Amino acid sequence: MRYWQLMLMSLAGGLIASAVVGADPVDYLTQVKPILATKCYACHGALKQEAEFRLDTRAFLLSTGSHVFVPGDSHNSPILLRVSATGDERMPPEGEGAPLTAAEIETLRQWIDQGAQAPDEPPPADPREHWSFKNPRRPIIPAEFHHPESANPIDAFIAEGYQKQNLRPVELAEKRELLRRLYIDLIGLPPTRQQLSDFLADESVNAYEKIVEQLLSSPAYAERWGRHWMDVWRYTDWYGLEEQVRYSQKHIWRWRDWILQSLNEDKPYSQMVVEMLAGDEIAPTDPNVVRATGFLARNYFIFNRTTWLDTTVEHTSKAFLGLTLNCAKCHDHKYDPLSQVDYYRMRAVFEPHQVRLDPVPGETDLDVNGLPRAFDNDLDTPTYIFLRGDEKNPDTTRPIGPGTPAVLSRQDFLPAPINLPAEAYSPELQEFALKDHLAKAGRNIESLRQTLDAAQKQLAQLQNAALDLAANPSIEGANAESPVGAAAAGNSASTTPGEQPTTKTPTVSEAGAAVAVAEKQLAAAQLHPKVLQASYLADVTKAHAPASEKLTELVRSAASLAREYELAQAEAALAQAEQQQPAPSDEAAIKKAMEAVTAAKTKRDEAQTAVGMPGETYPSLYVTRRAANGMIDEETPRHGPYSKISSGRRTALAQWIASRENPLTARVAVNHIWLRHFGQPLVESVDDFGLRAPRPPHQALLDWLSVEFMNNHWSMKHLHRLIVCSRTYRLRSSLLGADPATRRADPENHYYWHHRSTRMESQVVRDSMLQLAGIINLAHGGPNLPTSQESEQFRRTLYFTHASDDRGKFTVMFDDADILACYRRRESIIPQQALALANSKLAMTMSQKIASELQVALGDVDDDTFINTAFETILLLEPTSDERIACRTMLQQTKALLGNEAENLTKDRARQNLVHALLNHNDFITIR
Amino acid sequence: MSPNNTDQANSMTLPRRTFLTSMSGGLAGIALSSLLHSDEARANSSGWRPPTGQPHFAPKAKNVIWLFMRGGLSHMESFDPKPALNQYAGKSISETPWKHVQDRDKLKRLRVVAVQQDTQRNQLYPLQVGYRKYGQSGIEVSDFFPNIGNCVDDLAIVRSMWTTDDNHGAQIQFQSGRHMLDGFFPTIGAWVSYGLGSLNDNLPRFITMGPRFFDHGEAHYLGPAHDPVALTIDPQNPLPFAKPELQLSHGEQQLEFSLVNQLNQLKAKQYPDDPALLARMKSYELAFRMQRALPSAVDFSEESVKTKEMYGIGNPVTEPFGMQLLAARRFVERGVRFVQIMHGDGAAGAWDAHGGLKSNHTQNSAQVDLPTAGLLCDLKQRGLLKDTVVIFATEFGRTPGTQGGTGRDHHPFGFSVWMAGAGIQSGMVHGATDELGFHAEEHPHYVTDIHATLMHLLGLDARQLEVPGHKRLEIDFGQPITQILA
Repeated sequence: MRYWQLMLMSLAGGLIASAVVGADPVDYLTQVKPILATKCYACHGALKQEAEFRLDTRAFLLSTGSHVFVPGDSHNSPILLRVSATGDERMPPEGEGAPLTAAEIETLRQWIDQGAQAPDEPPPADPREHWSFKNPRRPIIPAEFHHPESANPIDAFIAEGYQKQNLRPVELAEKRELLRRLYIDLIGLPPTRQQLSDFLADESVNAYEKIVEQLLSSPAYAERWGRHWMDVWRYTDWYGLEEQVRYSQKHIWRWRDWILQSLNEDKPYSQMVVEMLAGDEIAPTDPNVVRATGFLARNYFIFNRTTWLDTTVEHTSKAFLGLTLNCAKCHDHKYDPLSQVDYYRMRAVFEPHQVRLDPVPGETDLDVNGLPRAFDNDLDTPTYIFLRGDEKNPDTTRPIGPGTPAVLSRQDFLPAPINLPAEAYSPELQEFALKDHLAKAGRNIESLRQTLDAAQKQLAQLQNAALDLAANPSIEGANAESPVGAAAAGNSASTTPGEQPTTKTPTVSEAGAAVAVAEKQLAAAQLHPKVLQASYLADVTKAHAPASEKLTELVRSAASLAREYELAQAEAALAQAEQQQPAPSDEAAIKKAMEAVTAAKTKRDEAQTAVGMPGETYPSLYVTRRAANGMIDEETPRHGPYSKISSGRRTALAQWIASRENPLTARVAVNHIWLRHFGQPLVESVDDFGLRAPRPPHQALLDWLSVEFMNNHWSMKHLHRLIVCSRTYRLRSSLLGADPATRRADPENHYYWHHRSTRMESQVVRDSMLQLAGIINLAHGGPNLPTSQESEQFRRTLYFTHASDDRGKFTVMFDDADILACYRRRESIIPQQALALANSKLAMTMSQKIASELQVALGDVDDDTFINTAFETILLLEPTSDERIACRTMLQQTKALLGNEAENLTKDRARQNLVHALLNHNDFITIR
Repeated sequence: MSPNNTDQANSMTLPRRTFLTSMSGGLAGIALSSLLHSDEARANSSGWRPPTGQPHFAPKAKNVIWLFMRGGLSHMESFDPKPALNQYAGKSISETPWKHVQDRDKLKRLRVVAVQQDTQRNQLYPLQVGYRKYGQSGIEVSDFFPNIGNCVDDLAIVRSMWTTDDNHGAQIQFQSGRHMLDGFFPTIGAWVSYGLGSLNDNLPRFITMGPRFFDHGEAHYLGPAHDPVALTIDPQNPLPFAKPELQLSHGEQQLEFSLVNQLNQLKAKQYPDDPALLARMKSYELAFRMQRALPSAVDFSEESVKTKEMYGIGNPVTEPFGMQLLAARRFVERGVRFVQIMHGDGAAGAWDAHGGLKSNHTQNSAQVDLPTAGLLCDLKQRGLLKDTVVIFATEFGRTPGTQGGTGRDHHPFGFSVWMAGAGIQSGMVHGATDELGFHAEEHPHYVTDIHATLMHLLGLDARQLEVPGHKRLEIDFGQPITQILA
């Protein structure tokens, strides 16, 4: 404020307003306001009113008087000086926005000089009053609009829109169209011919509802809707360089399986949110819950912790809250009442968390199998605001505590730290870990025993041969030329002349040394299980009880066994060193071997001494691995034990998100579900419910559904059922015969007067072809499958690897989910899609299979019967006569083209081609 | 050829002519390569509209050929001679009069990705190659590039580029303007595809050849329609699914396509004004034509022996790159907007000469020098250079100091690129690094200045292309390098 006054003084007097000559009148609303809106409102608007003035209506502009500008006098208008200034005086300041262009400044100047005319406008509302920031209240169902045949509240809300907008909806869809829509919508697979004919034959009033129940209770429902949520929650498999994980985590499919299982069980959405954000805190020892934190593990990014946390903050906010909190990273949000502090409060929630792989029963190698999960480990790491978002420039004077955005917070954010059970921070204490390691040690003993057996056998053979040779130098097969004889005689370098050298046969003394080594190794290995057991026992006791005599005893016993084991290992190592017998001519090698023996002896002697003074150290099991923090992770250990306390911050955040008092959570989820049923959302910007999202035309419906959702335990199946059983959902998609006035009034179908045709998502395209071909493998869950197998393995597409450097070649053509963010699939139409359906091995193979299935099912039939059935199979329709004629002609022409082959071969081939053409039909890939 | 854009689905009408007879010529005003429903919906509710495909102002260029040396070409051994390196060879930077180049504040642009120990390369390494003056302009070019040297009078060399990533994420940064740690953003090729209509609907607008720097898209929020189409120079199979993967004769396929078209036309009667249906019909038409146009574009049988020689085709060293460049010429001739050619295999890129720089650059330059010069001459003799901009770039330069005694490390503070062709001044040098080749000192340019220069030449205002919900930063736009504009 003071600054403006000073500047005004410096400008006062002497300056003459420039005459405005010949300039066209500048229009405030179209020319000036947009400049002010983009450059000034963020700080001088309804949201912030910095320096106590705002520029968002002329009334406000004028009320600040000549502090900002003087109508008719641009020279005396400080605003003009400030926007054309450089350096610190410039508005908007560096980092807050780009400077105005010369043309924009000129527009402002002319407008001021022309008298700064502007129409009266009501002041913009307080952003805190934004519709989506207010809790949804259950609206009264406008029952007077109920359709006589529907008691579904959705229809009443929609009908109210028709009435008010004077729109006339189209008719209901026919049964065939509806059944295909419903199947693909709920389970992602088209119905079979049998399912179609059953439905057509079922004339009961609830025929449709029966199918709805059947589909919702099928595991295929979870695979269909699980994939939708995998989009929203950004499922991606790991990528890296060779074995180094750089992004996401290995075995992240465990989170995918949690999603599917949760949907199958109809787990409350609110519960899902809590488990994904804080499953490790609410059920620390239950892997079935902990795996939900794959949602967080998926954000792992080796190169940069800030990028990792940024994506966590951004997508937690977008996915669950529809908030673009990410826009407040470098400065306060430009549109929404979200401050930079809000951003870092959210970061602080996640600041302590890390990602690790825990073991799963039956496997000790974490690269082969494991459980990726989140956990708190850095409880003392402070969170600082990065000035202008620059991580090199933290404001260390002010640590930021965890919290939720102030505008939405109804109460204090009070995380309660959680004391974790020992099995949670020391996963090696789980019984299966010991069992698996004992089994592994057992396998090692077994393998060493075999080695010893082999070594002993060889030694015995050689000794016998040597005895025979000594007794009777001339016997057949034992002369000095034979390998065994030669070896026994002490000449190990023999090969049969004229042949490839065979495996070198050892001498008797070498074989003896090998036996000694194997014996020692076996002896060591046999001690290992005892060490494992004793160490485990000591660790478990230590974890669960305070110091006691018994514990001391167990520790000493474990240490004692460990020393014996170490001695046995040292003996084996010594035997191994002594086994080395370099050629007598290689002096350097001999020297090296002798040194190795000396070193091994020293170690053995040390181990021997240690056995007498075992101390209290013993090797704990290492079964878990924290993800590396950066390319060079010098923090040790990565194998735990980890923090015994979890901060409780994520639980507090999750409970706040999943609360009925949160105005956004239910609405955002309902909108996502609605979008995927109707192909259009109730709120257009599905990931932004902030101020740029205007009040939707159907807010009452959205709010009613949101409250209904919450009142029914956040049950998704309840919502699906309500939606697909509505009349609105069952409207036809064709506009043929639609009311022309309605078409003109609402061409975008904002009021749902018809159903919108959509294109199959990438996964549905492939799955549908497999289903029609009758070869789909409906096995559920498990590790991700290699994309190279997409034409050979007939599992559903969601089970294939989905990573930024590895996508199915076919699937990726159809707007597959973007790895980085996919709140809504795109529907592009590009020629590569046509090429994929026309030329891919997948589509061609499926055509052949569908055609031969039909041949088998139909037997020897004429072309028309084949055409009818093929149409019904692939499109679920009966062909019109024009369509049948076109198909018949194609079959005839193809047969003519293939003329010189055998007749039934050309017939089969032509029919395959027909099926292939139908898979390329627009209405195969389209859901009507 | 006239530019026509895509996103005009609502104005489309059903073609009266039958499907297979409409093979010749472009189809005016048809939404072929992309029809994004979601964009359309947003367009209607917010007032925002996708670009029209028309330039915003009079363009000076129609096409771009973008050559990119993966791994980091040494500026000091290519286009930016630094005799001081010979003079002070073996000395530490702090022993030279230019020790200030390592002042802390001069290095702060750097954003390290992978922290390594001791990345400063202090011991100056002499030039590994000689330089000669070429042409009327007398500009010096290293002996690794004698043929490009002979074209120097057509080039505008920019010796003052800088970037911020000291690792090979800088390859992405050079194309998208953003450091890898910021996430992934549309590349310049995707923006050109998005902003400009196609000149030939039978071919993709944005083609890429050679090794990819990352195996995911480049268009990101602009949508997959603006991702580059990755081609190989194989007339039999230039792109994925370009021909049936199982046996199917052309005649059979023609009958299939014809049936698809008839059935879709019949369907259109039941679904009047279904823009997706119409667009899909068009996409099949284009796919069918692309199937034929693409193989013929990469079929060089009609090229003369002399032309092939210009590109080094026939010599195993130059042939792979030469084939891609000849294809590039044939693509721009046919109206493809943006042809991107990446050179140098391997995870980091072949030019990444941490050790053995001399043999590395000898080998790599031998692969690209002659074909690149051949491309310039060929474009020129055919009159194509007046409509086409060629750019020769790399992700960063290399350190003036040595790494391990035979190589140079990554160097983001200063490096060189050149441009030639439509709207570009010929035979000039712009900008300079300091005596050691360390910092871009005179007229420093961040990588997006190259983007801005291209957008300017193509008649596009990048700010008008901004997509709602995807605010771009000032630095993303860059400034055109006006000094090199003709």
